[in-house]
Amino acid sequence: MITYILALLAGTAYGLMVGIVPAAGATTGLVALFPAMVLLQSVDPYLVVVFVMAIVASSTTGDTFASVLLGIPGANSSAATMVDGFPLAQQGKAGYALSAAITTSTLNGLIFGALTFFLLPYYKDFITLAPIDGGVGQAELFAFCIMAFVTVGFISNKFWLRSSVALAVGIFISLIGVDPVSAAPRFTFGWEFLEGDGSGGGVPMIPLMAGLFAMPEMITTLQTKLLTAKPASNGQVIDGIKVSLKEWKLSLRGGFIGAVVGFLPGIGGSISDWLAYGQTVASNPNEKFGNGNIKGVIGPEGSNNAQKATSMIPTVLFGIPGAPFAVIIIGLFGAVGFDLSLDSTGVLADREFFTAMTFGFLAATLLTGIVCLLLIKQIAKIVSVPYMYYFPIVVALIVWATYTSGFDTYGIENVILLVFFTLLGLIMKKYHFSRPALMIGFILGSKIEGLSLQTMQLFNIGGYPLLKLKELFGYHVGSRQLDLALQPGRDLLSHPTFVGIAVLTIIIFLWGWRNKGKIDYA
Amino acid sequence: MRKVLLGIIAALLTTTAVADITFMVPQKPGQGTSAWAEIVAKEFQKAPAMKGEKIIISYNPGARDMAGFNKFHKTERFKDDVVMVSHGGNGISYVQENVKYDYNEYSSVCHQNLNIIVAKHKGVDENDGISHVAGSGMVPEGIAIALMIGGPGWTTEEYIIIFKEHVTWINGLSGSERHLAFTRGEVLATRANPAQYKSKVQPLIDEGKVETWMHHGVLNIETGKSEDDINYPGYRFEDVYEAKWGQAPSGDLYDAYTMIHTWRDSIQKALWVNKGNPNTDRLRLACKQMSMNPESVAILEKKIGKYSWVTGTDGDKTVEILKGMITEPALKALVKFNTEALGLASVYKEDLITK
Repeated sequence: MITYILALLAGTAYGLMVGIVPAAGATTGLVALFPAMVLLQSVDPYLVVVFVMAIVASSTTGDTFASVLLGIPGANSSAATMVDGFPLAQQGKAGYALSAAITTSTLNGLIFGALTFFLLPYYKDFITLAPIDGGVGQAELFAFCIMAFVTVGFISNKFWLRSSVALAVGIFISLIGVDPVSAAPRFTFGWEFLEGDGSGGGVPMIPLMAGLFAMPEMITTLQTKLLTAKPASNGQVIDGIKVSLKEWKLSLRGGFIGAVVGFLPGIGGSISDWLAYGQTVASNPNEKFGNGNIKGVIGPEGSNNAQKATSMIPTVLFGIPGAPFAVIIIGLFGAVGFDLSLDSTGVLADREFFTAMTFGFLAATLLTGIVCLLLIKQIAKIVSVPYMYYFPIVVALIVWATYTSGFDTYGIENVILLVFFTLLGLIMKKYHFSRPALMIGFILGSKIEGLSLQTMQLFNIGGYPLLKLKELFGYHVGSRQLDLALQPGRDLLSHPTFVGIAVLTIIIFLWGWRNKGKIDYA
Repeated sequence: MRKVLLGIIAALLTTTAVADITFMVPQKPGQGTSAWAEIVAKEFQKAPAMKGEKIIISYNPGARDMAGFNKFHKTERFKDDVVMVSHGGNGISYVQENVKYDYNEYSSVCHQNLNIIVAKHKGVDENDGISHVAGSGMVPEGIAIALMIGGPGWTTEEYIIIFKEHVTWINGLSGSERHLAFTRGEVLATRANPAQYKSKVQPLIDEGKVETWMHHGVLNIETGKSEDDINYPGYRFEDVYEAKWGQAPSGDLYDAYTMIHTWRDSIQKALWVNKGNPNTDRLRLACKQMSMNPESVAILEKKIGKYSWVTGTDGDKTVEILKGMITEPALKALVKFNTEALGLASVYKEDLITK
């Protein structure tokens, strides 16, 4: 037991560290430790499980510090928190924002973490359920992505046209890479690096996110010589805990969104925080956001730990990554002898594995919450340190995280991209083009492209095969192909989940359009 | 407790030490070939010929796994301690795309002669139309399905029409999404390498939902022909085809099929060094020792199945067999099928015929 606790403490400390480092996050942290953890298995492979789960849990809470205190996302899971968290810190309420975020994140991590491990035995039946029986297939994932897409109405700023342009730029960037049909390079301008790793778009997430959000905040703050804020007080910390508990409905709604996104393989984690932020804005139509609204912190923070927890379900049960960091976990667990695959009954029957995973995640979530709440005052002192002292350190860490994320192939290229997106981020910030809108376009663009292709090829609506649309563009469509798309169960109107999401999407779109332009953030 | 602390210290010291040999993988951690390389590296360094030297993995993802191999060719191959780990997709790309790497420049350390197995949902008749997951690595399956549906006697142009009439080729699915879509019955056919097939498809077969349709066979380097797979006997493409149509497959497109699946499957997991690398013989010996170590064999078979290792100069012989399969009619048929039936941006590389 003592070894488990040691692994927990080490994982929590390391996870907090990589969470706090701007742009690093769980994925980078896990990759950096890969060789050491593989060797640790010779001691006890279950220690690796505890250690890894502790990193995942603690890094998600740790990344809130950089978002709130410095206005730079610690990882993509905290980018949405920054929109209202950083203005709060600048108003001298860093302790308030941080404690609200940490309390929400910890409680939802515990609630949805416990729910995750409780649901594990039932999940297989759900995810393999045919869409006609209420399951989730490719068409449902397509509808879900479209639904996430329309939340852009909520996260756009008051410059609606500029938000739309930002969205279009985000979509364009997501299409850079490899054409999903011909496998030919697309918009790469002859640069092999931009072809990506074949698993989607070619532009990597870390330099884009760090360049768009982190670096512009660092540079503009340095230009204004801003001493960010007053240090936090005990009163702020307690007020933050109180507001988090008071807004429990908002927090749970965020948690629910995060849980659903994590639960569904193929969606990707970054969407959940923006969706949660969007619903927070939508459910408070008379309030302004982007200038320090505590609800804008609680909503997305409710989502990210819940999403991390539930994304372990498809990861563990099927070896299907529920989020980007989960790919590394599959590799890591595989390397130490835990084979996660479509039939993980072997692993699930291993009670020690299951216990190590549950213990690692839940105990680290609780431990991180307590440690962070106790240390808020100390950590938040960074806001009263003259900016010039930590500016070079933070920039160096961002560059390191960006470089490392390119593995042994593309470190330098990633840094070049970081410089490019920093310039783009500075321009967007100055001229009020919505950076969150660009991120939504980027995250969803390539997913929607792939899922729309599959939906069109496989299904019909009311007896009209979507494949016929191909003919409008001059493609040949075979008669047997049409027969397939018309088989029983392939009518999307007979898919209850698809219809439900479609209706919800229309409502969200109309609502978002009515309430557009409410965020004072670009 | 003391053991744990010592273990942690040893682990950290080992990872900070300079590696003696580097396995260069064209993927990031967690992907198929990376996972294979990690397992093999652990067993490889146990071989007596390694004399206790350590192997570390260098991850080089990018450009559909071509970037790492291109980098090896350009710079890393000139380092004596670097071994390239390639997969079948690299073999396919070499034949039908513009890549910088060139198998003529390397010596084989060893490779695993593997197979790809195709499954379909029970009761599905491909002649009534079938859907299959797409991707540039699925070219052999695309051709095999066209041949299987059409039967004998057609030209490449006619097989393309048959394919476009019957087959819904589902693009844009990642590896894990493919398996889920297949499990839910949205896609009716899929393919998998032996390790994936064991872990992801076999459970569905056991449940009675799906069945093995065909596999491509395992190359016999003595005869230069693919033979049945002892793990899935009786399902070799040629055998299933002959059972359905009463005669063996033939023609330019069949030759294209034979060529491209062998380029993928026979070097599906392979280790290479630059020609003239002074470590070649020692690495070959280490691989041979690993392949004969019962403990290592048991670990590898558990993950992958019973497949043989090709070691020593037999590895180079495989490359010669593969080069001999590239003929002008086969290559032309392949490129035509790729571009017109599958929509792939495939190029005709005339220089491959003369190499």
